[in-house]
Amino acid sequence: MTAHAASSSPAPHRYVIIGNGVAGNQAAETLRDRDPEGSVTIITNSRLLFYNRYLLPQLFRDHMDWRELLPHSAEHYRQRRIQVRRDSRVVSVNAVRRQVMLAHNESIYYDTLLVATGGRGYLPEELADCRHLLSYFSTYEHAMAMRKALPDKGTVIMLGGDMIGLDLARVLLGMDHRVVLVTHETTFWPHAVAPDKRGEFLQALQRMGIELVDGEAQGGVATIEQGTSGLPARRVIFHQGGDLYGDVVMPCYGLVPMVEFMMGSGTDIERGLLVNATLRTSDLHIFAAGDVCQIWSEREHAYHFYYGYKNVRAMGAVAAINMTGGNEHFSTTQDETLVQDSQGHIDSPFWAYD
Amino acid sequence: MQIALCGSAGDGTIAAGDILRSAVAAMGYRVICFDVYPAEIRGFGKCIARLRITTEQSYSLKRQSDILVSLDDAHAIPHAGEVRDDGAVIYESQPVAACPEGGHMSGHVLPGQIPYGLPIREMAEKYTGGARSRNLVVLGFVAGLLGLTPAPFLQIIEKKFAKQGAAVVARNQKGFQAGHEAGASTFKLDDVRVAPVEKPEAAGQVVMLSGNAAVAMGCMDAELDTFFGYPITPATSIMERLAVAMPKRGRRLLQTEDEISAVAAAIGAGYTGARSATATSGPGLALMAEMLGLATIAEVPCVIFVSQRGGPSTGMPTKTEQSDLNAALYGSPGDSQRIVIAPTNVEGCYRCAGKAFEMAERYQTPVLVLLDLYLSNRYETVTLADSGPPFNLDDNKPMRRLEAGELYRRYALTEDGISPRAVPGDAGCMHVITGLEHNELGRPDDREETHAAMSRKRHDKLLAALEHPDFTVAKRFGDPGRVQVGMLAWGSTFGECLEAMFMAHSEGITCAAMKVVMLSPFPVQAVRAFMDSCDVVLVPEVNHEGQFAQLVQGILARPVVRLSRVPGSPMPVELILEEIRRLARGIVTAIAS
Repeated sequence: MTAHAASSSPAPHRYVIIGNGVAGNQAAETLRDRDPEGSVTIITNSRLLFYNRYLLPQLFRDHMDWRELLPHSAEHYRQRRIQVRRDSRVVSVNAVRRQVMLAHNESIYYDTLLVATGGRGYLPEELADCRHLLSYFSTYEHAMAMRKALPDKGTVIMLGGDMIGLDLARVLLGMDHRVVLVTHETTFWPHAVAPDKRGEFLQALQRMGIELVDGEAQGGVATIEQGTSGLPARRVIFHQGGDLYGDVVMPCYGLVPMVEFMMGSGTDIERGLLVNATLRTSDLHIFAAGDVCQIWSEREHAYHFYYGYKNVRAMGAVAAINMTGGNEHFSTTQDETLVQDSQGHIDSPFWAYD
Repeated sequence: MQIALCGSAGDGTIAAGDILRSAVAAMGYRVICFDVYPAEIRGFGKCIARLRITTEQSYSLKRQSDILVSLDDAHAIPHAGEVRDDGAVIYESQPVAACPEGGHMSGHVLPGQIPYGLPIREMAEKYTGGARSRNLVVLGFVAGLLGLTPAPFLQIIEKKFAKQGAAVVARNQKGFQAGHEAGASTFKLDDVRVAPVEKPEAAGQVVMLSGNAAVAMGCMDAELDTFFGYPITPATSIMERLAVAMPKRGRRLLQTEDEISAVAAAIGAGYTGARSATATSGPGLALMAEMLGLATIAEVPCVIFVSQRGGPSTGMPTKTEQSDLNAALYGSPGDSQRIVIAPTNVEGCYRCAGKAFEMAERYQTPVLVLLDLYLSNRYETVTLADSGPPFNLDDNKPMRRLEAGELYRRYALTEDGISPRAVPGDAGCMHVITGLEHNELGRPDDREETHAAMSRKRHDKLLAALEHPDFTVAKRFGDPGRVQVGMLAWGSTFGECLEAMFMAHSEGITCAAMKVVMLSPFPVQAVRAFMDSCDVVLVPEVNHEGQFAQLVQGILARPVVRLSRVPGSPMPVELILEEIRRLARGIVTAIAS
């Protein structure tokens, strides 16, 4: 009789990533490189594989199919053995049992978890009742719905601005659409523009062809209504009584981290998930990367959000390295200075990606 | 486009498929459908309804579906891989019970597929007051997603549930419409499209039939007088349909105590001059074997429909197979010649059913019509000629008036081997019917010369069936002239062969396929001519032993390449195609070397 030694190979390490953006996918790739035997699972609300959201403004210029936005083919995920659980919403994380609970009543176990859910567009509370009249721009589906709603040479009203909205505005102007920007303190978010420079940058926006409405002077937006017959589809009413008509109204007030499902997990949360420079949260087995986390700065003794493609991608890689036993510290290489180009138009380093 | 609906028994999976096929057929599409259901009558076995919807005639189901609908993830998850890239997977997004890890469909949708989670149960409860209409909610979702107009569906639902009252109809229609609205408003990410179709100018009546329904219709159009049967899967629905149709025309159907009684009664009725039939499956055919010998030696017409299933013995009652060919050809003691024909599609089921009665009468012999579960249960759109049933309603050889004092020779040795047949009651034509070898008068006679002459008569008379009027015994499809690969196929597998052949053509492989409908007597000349024109001949069939390949090799003494599989399901087109490619490559290599 031949004695067989019991298999000594341990069960593969289970890496679970919540979020299907730049950070999550960079982390998945790095994890696969560093742990070829590990199980890598991405969980996402989206029905699509990872796509380049930075290309979404181009949908207004080109008739792009969503497949053209994918950096990786389906085959890539098969070959790399990265499971992507789409259409799956995370409702909670049980850090004690190391379980991710999904809305459809399934729990997924992890050895190490990365939260990379990013942020969602911020909507001021007073506009919550009007959300059905607003157009969003955070997903392919949103972008296509907005494109469908916008007639030729139609008018887009941007509430706030932010650099995501302004990136889109550049494309819309090039397509002969009219862009009206209702200014707000978040107009240049996430850039921190000094008060004495703000007027200069607003003028730059006007030079680009954007029509400005001083939102602060109007007392802010009071409500949004359906446009009446014969007029554009939306009417924005200000607290001071003025109004604006447009075909599409977009809230562009920057991002807030998507962390609701982490409440009750025991990890420290302020606005985002609080992590140290290795991107580890207060739970040993949970990391965070991207727009969802606030990173401790030893130098400033404060937590910071770091935005932009380069930062987010770097965070994904650093988190994955540390999830597999490394000890890398995140440090930003992203230039955050808002400038004007030779034509006097604004230019943001956040608009650059590769 | 192909849609697969998968659920547990009781989920309404098959019913949803039924409504879908009826609705799209009403819209003018061509449809092929095949349902798979569990062998167990009780319990929660797996049900799958697969529908291929086309604007032009297609010949088989595809291996990959474009849409998979899960009404029960435990059953549907193993089929997630059947959906092609950019196809859709639709499933319950809010199951009531907690799923174990890996127990939800969303975890099995492959990277190239598009997931569509839908709160099916919640919607059913909201719009219909209960969860039973989940199947209609999800059917509505599919229709909405595809942009199919709801009207034909609502009509079919009304018709289907009419007997249960207006409230039930309204509830189910509401569930469908809720699903339709959800589907129509869902952002569509898959690339599944339904080409618009215009209803063709009626070149006949377009109907949706299953193979067994077509058999029943063929029987009725050929004016079947009597039917005797004993239920057995997958033949039962032939009897069920005839039990409804025959009494309306004053015809008789009797459920007997077993298959022996059924075939004995059918032979008895045939003896009296009635058009008679029975239907069974492999195990029933085994019981009928002895009586079939009686019909052969007594030269009594009768028709036996045999729908094959997985065997031997009880085998796999709800799985398809083509393994009763030997039993149909040889399954009786002695040289028990009979005619065996096998349709290759649903329309063929109709024609073969009607023609079987002509042949049984004309050649005075039992005729076996070989179906299989795949053919019996699959639905196709069929065009029926406006000119009426294409069947001869009396194919008996005319009786000559007897001279005074002349004895009636029931088994007279004639030039064509067919004797004038009298039936009981015909004046002056008293004769003996017996299972013993007999002389021309029917009297027992076991002399060598009598047995030799009668054996030859019973054999030779059937050869004329190879030229039976308006009946295709074998037909070639595909490239004319010399081809690299030829396929010989019979029964339901021929559809898969045709699909594989068209795919091979698109790859530049010269290829042809011959369907052999008449298996006994065997169309030797036609098959030989076909084989002569092929570099290599492939014989795909759903049995383990290659029964048809053995038949061909035994008769023609030519080599063939066998492709024999017993998957319990139709032969995959891709498997046949792969074999064609392999053979074509081999031929090219051989020529090069």
